[in-house]
Amino acid sequence: MDSLKIADRIFNSRLLVGTGKFASCRIMAEALEASGTEIVTVALRRVDIENKDDDMLSAIDRERYLLLPNTSGARTADEAVRLSKLARAATGINWVKLEVTPDPNYLLPDPVETLKAAEILIKDGFVVLPYINADPILARKLEDAGTATVMPLASPIGSNQGLKTREALEIIIEQANVPVVVDAGLGLPSHAADAMEIGADAVLVNTAIATADDPVEMARSFKLAVQAGRMAYNSGPAAAGKKASASSPLTGFLTDL
Amino acid sequence: MNVLKINGTEKTFDSELPDTLAALLEQLSVNAETVVAEVDGRIIERSGFDKTELHSGQAIELVRFVPGG
Repeated sequence: MDSLKIADRIFNSRLLVGTGKFASCRIMAEALEASGTEIVTVALRRVDIENKDDDMLSAIDRERYLLLPNTSGARTADEAVRLSKLARAATGINWVKLEVTPDPNYLLPDPVETLKAAEILIKDGFVVLPYINADPILARKLEDAGTATVMPLASPIGSNQGLKTREALEIIIEQANVPVVVDAGLGLPSHAADAMEIGADAVLVNTAIATADDPVEMARSFKLAVQAGRMAYNSGPAAAGKKASASSPLTGFLTDL
Repeated sequence: MNVLKINGTEKTFDSELPDTLAALLEQLSVNAETVVAEVDGRIIERSGFDKTELHSGQAIELVRFVPGG
């Protein structure tokens, strides 16, 4: 499979994996390994002073995976910028998955605040990977502002509905000059393959892996689906048509003998 | 009285305040290796924990990475 370049880094895997919702750190670590991922997302939260034994970072091999902090919980650009700066202080790297989601029911991203935060963060030297609705104009504006990717949603976070935004995703992919990472709502390996077949550069999966009965095997399934989808895209899929087109020769039938 | 607002909750210290941020984390049994701090809105990097003196009335945020997508 061909490699993926985001900002100045090259990756061999096109599957980004979120670390939320795993039953244990051990299962998370095994699933990350099975997925073949090279980029994993984490969130930033207050330390629970009453329960300090909540350090999950030790289960993630920092030599092996690029830690991509998200700004989940941010409802405004200012909150996202603050979280990004804290994350940079924590990781020592300047990559951030920008999320501004003021709506608690559907966790849909706020386009105005996301663009505003992206502009501030890019000026401050961040490599910004913004989570957005599948809006081609917004994607273009973010790319023009200097984001490293765009990350349009397939369907709402954790909903496992697959590519509900297909037409808009296709337009984003057609127009983008930065990698398009389809994020959120991919519930099955076939959804991930679907996104890759229409030309997404990568996908991000969390819930579908973490909450499967066997997260490790599901992680492996997504790895294979992403590879298959990418290979299919690169192979130039045959066109779809309404009428049948015989696969076998239409001459030399027995009646002709 | 010596008071610090830690992660939104006021904490009163009967005796002296810990001298530094590093001393506070030790007193709270929080592993400093995994934490980032803000004191009155200013980010303190880990290397600065033992140089950051604390004063009554300050607001301190202690954050760390947690699982997330």
